[in-house]
Amino acid sequence: MISVAKTRKFLYSLQTFFMLEKTDIHKLASGMTIIGVPVAGVQSAAFEFLVPAGAAMTPDGCCGAPAVIEDWIFRGAGGKNSRELSDMLDGLGLHRGSGVESKHITLSAALQAENLSNAIELYADIILKPALESQQFEYSRQLAMQGLLSLEDDPRHKTRNLLREHFYPDPLGRNTAGKQQELQNLTAGKTRQIISENFNISQTILAVAGKYDFQKLCAMLEKLFAAEKPKKAKDITAKKQPPGYYHYQHEGAQVHIGIITASVTPCDNDYYNARVAVAILSGGMSSRLFTEVREKRGLCYAVGASYHSLKEMAGIGCYAGTTPDKAQETYDVIIAEFKRLSDGITESELQRAKIGLQSALIMQSESTIARAGAAAMDYYMLTKVRSLEEIKQNIEKTSVQSVIGFLKNNPFEKFCSVTIGPMEIKPV
Amino acid sequence: MEFKHKKLANGLNIIAEVNKNAQSAAVGFFVRTGARDETDEISGVSHFLEHMLFKGTDKISAHNVNSSFDDLGAQYNAHTTEENTVFYSATLPEQLDKAVKLWCQLMRPALRDDDFNMEKNVILEEIAMYKDLPQFDVMESCRALHFGSHPCGKSVLGTVESIKALTSKQMKEYFESRYAPNNITAVIAGNFDFEKICDCIENLCGSWIPKQAERKIEYFAGTAKKEHQNKKNLNCQHICLASPAVSYQDKRVYAAMLLSKIIGDDTGSRFFWELVDTAIAETASMHCEAMDGVGAFYSYIRADSQNASKVMQIVKKIFKSLQKEKISADELRKARNKVLSAITLKNEIPMGRLLELGVNCVYLGQYRPIEDEIQRVKNVTQADIQDLIEQFPPANFTQFSIGPEK
Repeated sequence: MISVAKTRKFLYSLQTFFMLEKTDIHKLASGMTIIGVPVAGVQSAAFEFLVPAGAAMTPDGCCGAPAVIEDWIFRGAGGKNSRELSDMLDGLGLHRGSGVESKHITLSAALQAENLSNAIELYADIILKPALESQQFEYSRQLAMQGLLSLEDDPRHKTRNLLREHFYPDPLGRNTAGKQQELQNLTAGKTRQIISENFNISQTILAVAGKYDFQKLCAMLEKLFAAEKPKKAKDITAKKQPPGYYHYQHEGAQVHIGIITASVTPCDNDYYNARVAVAILSGGMSSRLFTEVREKRGLCYAVGASYHSLKEMAGIGCYAGTTPDKAQETYDVIIAEFKRLSDGITESELQRAKIGLQSALIMQSESTIARAGAAAMDYYMLTKVRSLEEIKQNIEKTSVQSVIGFLKNNPFEKFCSVTIGPMEIKPV
Repeated sequence: MEFKHKKLANGLNIIAEVNKNAQSAAVGFFVRTGARDETDEISGVSHFLEHMLFKGTDKISAHNVNSSFDDLGAQYNAHTTEENTVFYSATLPEQLDKAVKLWCQLMRPALRDDDFNMEKNVILEEIAMYKDLPQFDVMESCRALHFGSHPCGKSVLGTVESIKALTSKQMKEYFESRYAPNNITAVIAGNFDFEKICDCIENLCGSWIPKQAERKIEYFAGTAKKEHQNKKNLNCQHICLASPAVSYQDKRVYAAMLLSKIIGDDTGSRFFWELVDTAIAETASMHCEAMDGVGAFYSYIRADSQNASKVMQIVKKIFKSLQKEKISADELRKARNKVLSAITLKNEIPMGRLLELGVNCVYLGQYRPIEDEIQRVKNVTQADIQDLIEQFPPANFTQFSIGPEK
């Protein structure tokens, strides 16, 4: 058991590190937000664009369009054809990533710091001047359809997507991979129109982390995005749906179980209490779920809970994969552990959760890629970037009473559950 | 960066790279043992034993192992491959000595029967989990087909049958024969005091008795067999190819790494332009696995099953063309930049550096500073890559594929 005094000493020792950082935020004339997060002692830089063109922003009947767009915009831009653009990006040694989320398409990259300006220039072309040729559209559409098909071969990943789809109000939880029929019907013309409506620069966020010169970066971006005029953010209406249980038959080796229950968003005063509660449930290997499901009963190899949030709504989700004869017991034990949390937590569980969260925070902060992604998401969620010091203090402020208070006010009562596998379970 | 090294009298190697600017410190124990060191009878024991180390010692219970690491705010785990079992953690610098002490104790586990029987269930669940991951499943089957009776074809997880039949006595015997101090390397990277950590390791591990832990090393170029399996629950064609490559000890390993980027990187590679850009395959990648005295290039391709034969025609064309259409200076330049970028990013984090340091020490018995590694990548010429293609033609591949029933 760890003592409270030891914990305080340990947490105090983090102070020096947290005091060193300074985040810059700047708005361009076009309305785009630029965030800079310096990371000492690194030779790399990483950046992430959040473009407000995610799955929920797509018109009805076009589910999957963002997955096509995410590929299509890289097939030539700014007068360069697909091959020339790809060669230039590769020539910079860029580690590229892109993805579709509920509200955004994310475009990220990490590279050696001296190539940052060249990379940002190319990304400005990709966002502002994609070639969007019809033949290339067809390839992107076919790839998106194959992506959807391959999801069918990955029941674990599919469980996560279906859980979000059933839990969040439509269209917030829409499947980011799309729907087969809607992808089949999608045209180049319609997709161009979606890009023109949704690539709203004034609502776009760019975060850069690592080694860079913020003033130079902003001056360059001001020029690159000068022609864009501020536009209003797009409103979407979400339709709430009651939580339920959904089973998908799949003749695999395991039953893949997904469970989610509503929680508070990062704007809520109870946000840090919720994060600590999840850490007690599933932080390290001594956490409750790992101990009860895997260590004591040997029901699963993979079991874990995590916090997930959109701006409008959040949930605490859990995944477990287990062979059919153990599926019901696994589900029952997980639900019991969720419910048991509000009966009480110990001081040592709380301290362990705090240390785990803060230690992870520092270790993630060593990665420029993680820093850029976290800063961009913070700004979108909270219209500010939380300093590591602020996060640390808020974690520290939580107590056994505050976490229990949160759990009593937000009891884990209603669960949305999804199973994929050879047999159904009986849900609560 | 400062390199430090000490070898204990019993043969346990301690190597370290100190980086006073790092925000964390990582420690790893690399045991030179894995699936290739097992007999068929105990297939999967290395990996099962890796799990059992977390069950504690005569003095520490399983729950206390987990809570002790969690009390340190540690990020910790372990993995087993065909030839290594690696235990590692990253903590803030001031917690490193406690993490090291804990690992030193865990390296002499109790291997209690109750824990063994309970953990057997978890291992069987892990085997089932990977059965539902066709990408892993096809790689595993292709490796076995490629290596045939060579030890590197053995399964890391073992089979349901071998795990069910395994006894704790067999595991204890395996432990005694493989976890000798002269078969273990302790590696530390990040911000820490080397002398202090060394003293700690020496105090706790200095009394372990050395023992010869042999490994049969033999080069094998692969069987070049082709097999396909239909599976009723699949939707895509999953194809894995394996062809001979250099060992980790071979100086051409950097050329091999660059060649696999040129042929099969996610973007801008020959696979990418011929297969993915044209939407014939959803994904196509290649990597080089350089091992102890042996090596293989592995390609993984996933596509709509209707495209399966077209995929293979194109792949064969790409492999054949490597000898005719020589690797261009531009292809080499792009691959080099990608590799150099990856080295920079990986080594900025102590945990990334730890794995590199450990592998270099285990396979080469030497320390390679980052600058040296960068220089070796820069030194690779077009001629080096062309020679490699001549000596290890990717066209001589073993193929295993799985796909939906027609």
